[in-house]
Order: sequence, then structure tokens, then C-alpha cells
Amino acid sequence: MKDPPELQLVALRVYDASSYVTELERNMAASVRTLALRALSDSTRNIQHVSRCRIKHLCCRAEITGRRAYSDSTEGRSTHFGFQTVPEEEKAEKVYKVFENVAKKYDVMNDAMSLGIHRLWKDTLLNTMNPQPGLRLLDTAGGTGDISFRFLEYTRSMYDRQQRLRAKSHQTPSWQDIADHYVSDKAGPPQSRAVVCDINKEMLKVGKQRAEKAGIITGLSWVVGDAEELPFDDDQFDIYTIAFGIRNVTHIEQALQEALRVLKPGGRFMCLEFSKVTNPLLTRLYDAYSFQMIPVLGEVIAGDWKSYQYLVESIRKFPDQETFKEMIEDAGFFCVQYFNLTGGIVAIHSGFKL
Amino acid sequence: MAALIRGLRAGRVLRGLGSVAVQGTLSPQCSNVRRGFHRAALLRLANDSKSDTSVPPPSYHEVDTAGESSSSSAHGESSEDAQPNTSFQDQSGEHGEDYETEEQLQARILTAALEFVPQHGWTVEAIAAGAETLGLSSASTGMFNNGAGDLALHFVAQCNAQLAETLAEQNNQVQLGQAESKKTAEFLRDAVEVRLRMLIPYIDTWPQAMSILLLPHNIPDSLKHLSTMVDDIWYYAGDRSTDVNWYTRRAALTGIYNTTELVMVQDSSPDFEETWAFLDNRIKDVVNMANTAKQVQATGEAVVQGLMGAAITLKNLTGMNQRR
Repeated sequence: MKDPPELQLVALRVYDASSYVTELERNMAASVRTLALRALSDSTRNIQHVSRCRIKHLCCRAEITGRRAYSDSTEGRSTHFGFQTVPEEEKAEKVYKVFENVAKKYDVMNDAMSLGIHRLWKDTLLNTMNPQPGLRLLDTAGGTGDISFRFLEYTRSMYDRQQRLRAKSHQTPSWQDIADHYVSDKAGPPQSRAVVCDINKEMLKVGKQRAEKAGIITGLSWVVGDAEELPFDDDQFDIYTIAFGIRNVTHIEQALQEALRVLKPGGRFMCLEFSKVTNPLLTRLYDAYSFQMIPVLGEVIAGDWKSYQYLVESIRKFPDQETFKEMIEDAGFFCVQYFNLTGGIVAIHSGFKL
Repeated sequence: MAALIRGLRAGRVLRGLGSVAVQGTLSPQCSNVRRGFHRAALLRLANDSKSDTSVPPPSYHEVDTAGESSSSSAHGESSEDAQPNTSFQDQSGEHGEDYETEEQLQARILTAALEFVPQHGWTVEAIAAGAETLGLSSASTGMFNNGAGDLALHFVAQCNAQLAETLAEQNNQVQLGQAESKKTAEFLRDAVEVRLRMLIPYIDTWPQAMSILLLPHNIPDSLKHLSTMVDDIWYYAGDRSTDVNWYTRRAALTGIYNTTELVMVQDSSPDFEETWAFLDNRIKDVVNMANTAKQVQATGEAVVQGLMGAAITLKNLTGMNQRR
């Protein structure tokens, strides 16, 4: 059976788009594609489904979800998935698939892409947080548990330090002091607890394995949950962190409101995320590195070009420092401030529930 | 699972907030109302402890205006009737009220933290303990970027404010004629003693606070506090000088204050008698110096006049002064 001419036209256009293009050309191709398809759409709803299956064989990279957005525009809104536009319902699914694919090589790729600097960023987050012993942490989009491990380590060493200082100042305790010390020791040190919450089971699995290897047994929980709808009661946690996760959330405002809900009064919201580079020279280098090197690294090390293309695109789509600060303030946090790290490549935003 | 929690939350909300009309179970609105309540509760705690007027709850509500439901604004109005809002309502923009309430909250946390200083020292742990007494999580110590420095500076500012109040009160009494005005030396001595006595509850940990105030990033602020305090004391002592005396007087008093503080820190006599004796001696020294300076100046003038006279006499004798 010969293909109808409209389908051939569509296939041709798509085939053009499927050859290797830079983001700019892909955008142009996308707009050309949508124009051509709009001309055909009314009569070719059935053929759309068929042609989508055919096109999947033709090209592996061009994803024709723009068409579905057009036909479903009456039903749902669309959002960005990297530089593409997808319906909101689809974004969560796509993000899930991305992280499912990268879960096993996530930590290795982090080290390779950031040349190990991500460890410094996470250490800076903990130093800024300066948690006292005995606090509860909710590490959302915590995945492999980097922040939680550091949190437990930090509070443990902080507690040891406090004990040492206390011992130093009580060099010659009276008999009463010694007796009190024996009595109060039963309570034990205040236990800091960290809950790692992630929507993706694969990432949590990898995190659990890491915890076992590191020998961390107590004080850590692993929960599957959606940042937009956390499975926790109100006023539960002292600190809420989300490191490199909030740009993957479909409705950022909802995630911020959920954060406000589960935090105790006086609790702190901290977000570590890629942001806008302030230095123009650094911007050019950073862009070149992001778009040329990172997907290649992704292909070589993890065997997945698309996921890392999504990663660098999603960084560009995320609002800049000031805009995000305003979003946090709108959600109801106070004393909101941000700190730029590495010239603005990464920013730590912090707000309080008062 | 999330739906279950949502349902439980909705049930709790409907039961708990009976006085406020809750529209449906939309979580943002519920959280707004609950937040308003919670902050109102916090402020009510503060209102109980403070006697003077503090920020009324509605100021927090002005912050929540973004997408607020009518139920919470109704709640806001009812609490506005309960506590008359004075100047805050007229301020434009949410941020004006935000900053004032944030700073006031920070001041309250630091004041509460001062109780724990003898136990924990001038550290972030003291601030954390203070925050906990106010019902806030100790994660709120992150608000204070300077940590222990903020606590020490707050304490110094508080003491200086108290001192200024006391001096103003005394001044009032003198002007009303109810008390006699003191001589300068006595006035200075009393003022410095009053100020130093405020350190007595924290005297064990005061060296730590002094070292914190001397850290480079704290020096501008601590110098500012010190200079305003010394200026206040001299102003109420009656100094209205506009010449170099302004500087010399303040420099002298700064020296006296700092040295007396150092003596006090290592003083172990009952009620710090040795410190007050030291203070007496230093003030006497300064007064003596001032008198001596005046005498030297007077003597110098007299000597110069005498010499001039002698020179003219000599010129007369030798006949060089005649005009031809």
C-alpha cells in the first residue's frame, strides 16, 4: 500500500530534522515541523498515530511531542523538558525514565562532569546549614544520599566537638558534677535523623547500597515520595534540603509549598541548584563545556546521550537566582538569601519558616 | 499514600480550625491560615513576655496576600480588631513589614539566647537553645550569618540602650529639680560603673565575648557601639564643646572604659571593689591632667607676656625703640 502523500511529506520533514543538528537548528526544524503538521492535523488524526510509530524508526532523537501538545492543548498545559515542550503529565514520567537510566552511573558521572567539584558544593551546603546535633533532615530528591551522609557525619563530629569543649571547661569537676554526669549519661547523645525521599526507586536502591557499604546503619530512612506531594505530616522536619532536584519538578511552586508544610516553625529550607553564571567570560566557557562535553561524557561513560542533553538543557530552563528567591518568598519563607558558588554555576538558596 | 495523608490532614483542619471557614481542602489555603495562626501564636507568646507594644499578627498576614483566600483575610480582620494596628498598616509593600518583623524576631531570639550564655558561652549553641525556648527549631540559627558575633553585638547594643535610658532618666530628674546635678568626675564615674555592672551576670564568659568583638569583621560594629556609648555619656555629662576638646574627652573616656573593663574581668574582690577603686584613680588622673593642662597654658601665657615685656624694656634702655 502506497503511503498517502501527506504522510510522505511528514516523513521527509522529520527525516531532515533527524540528522545531527545543534539546538538552534532543532528549534527551527521543530517550528517548521509544527507548521507543516498544523496544516494536516484536522484530517490526519489517525495517521498521526501511525506516523509517530514510523518516525520512531526513522530517527531516534527528534521526539515529536509538540504534535501531541497541539492536539491536547484543550486538555492540559505544557511545560518544558529541557528545550522541548511537553505536556505537564508527561514531564514527570520522562524525568523518571531519565533517572532510572542514569541511576547506576549517577555518582561516577557527577564526578566526571564536575571534575569532583560537586563534593565541594555539597560540603559548602552543609557548612552553610551548620546543623546542631539532634535535628531531623528531609533530603528531597535525595537519590543516592550524598547530602544525608554528609549531614550525619557533620552532626556527629559537631557533637564530639561539643563534648570535648565541655570536658575541657570542666577540668576539675566537683563531686556533685561527677554524680550528675553519671546520672544524665543514660539519655545518650541526641540522635540526628535523616530521611531520604526520592520519586525514583532506582536512585534510592543505589543510595541504600552506598549506605550499607559506608556502614551507616542508624539514623537514615529511605522513602519513595513526590516532592509536589510529600507523604509526611505537617511540622515534622527541622531542615529540608533539595540538592540538584528542584529543576526536575514540574510544579516548583507546589514543591515549595510542600516544603513549607512539612517544616517545623523555625525550620530551614535549603536548595542547592545550578543557576545563572554571572561572569560573561565564564558563561561562554561554561556553555561550551555543557553542550559539547557533557553529553559526550554521558555517552562514553553511561551510554546515554539524551539524558545528559536533558540535564544541561534543564539547567538553562531553570529561573535565575533572583527569580527563584522571589518564588521562595512567595511561597511564604522569610529571610531568604542566596549564595553563589563557583561564579554562579551553582547557587544555594535558603529560607526560613517563621 | 499521599492521598491518605491529605485526607487525614483535611479532617484535622476541619476539626481544629472551627472558628475559621475553611474552603475545601486546598492545601495552600489551609497552610496559609495555619501559618497565620502559628505566627499569631508565636507573637502572642512574645506579647505575654513583653510589656510594650509589639508587632500585631496582621503584619504577617499582609505577607501572605499572594493568592490568599477570603477565609484567612477574614481571620486577619478579626485579629486586627482585637489589636489596633498603628503605623505598620501604612507602610507600603510587604517587604517593609517583613524586615521589621524579621529583625524583631531575631532580636527576640538573641535576647532569649542570653540566658544560656553562662552555660554554653558566646556560641551558636546558646542561640540554638534560645530559639528553642521560643518554640522555633534550632535550624533557625542559620538566620544569623555572623553566629556568635551577632549575639555579642546584640548584647552590647542592649546594654548601651539601657545605659542611655538610665542617663536620660537621671537628666530628667535633675531638670525637674528632683535631684542635684553631679560634678563631671562623679558623673563619669557613676555612668561607667552602671554600664560595667551590666556585665556582672556574664563576667565569666566575657573574655570570650571581648575576643569575638575584636575579630576583624566585627571591629567596625563594636567600635561604633563603643563610640556611641562614650558620646552618650559625655553628652549627658554636659559636654557641648566644639573644638579639639570634643575628641580629647572622648578618647580619654574610651581609654578609661576599656582599661576598667579589663581590670574587671580578672577582678576577684567582693563586689568588684578593686575595679571601682581603679576607676576612681583613672578618673582622678584624667581630671588632674586636664587641670595641669590648663595651668600649663596659663603659665605659658604669663611667661610669654613677661618675656615680651622684658624685651621691650631692653629695647627702650638701649635706645633702639626711638623713632627718628
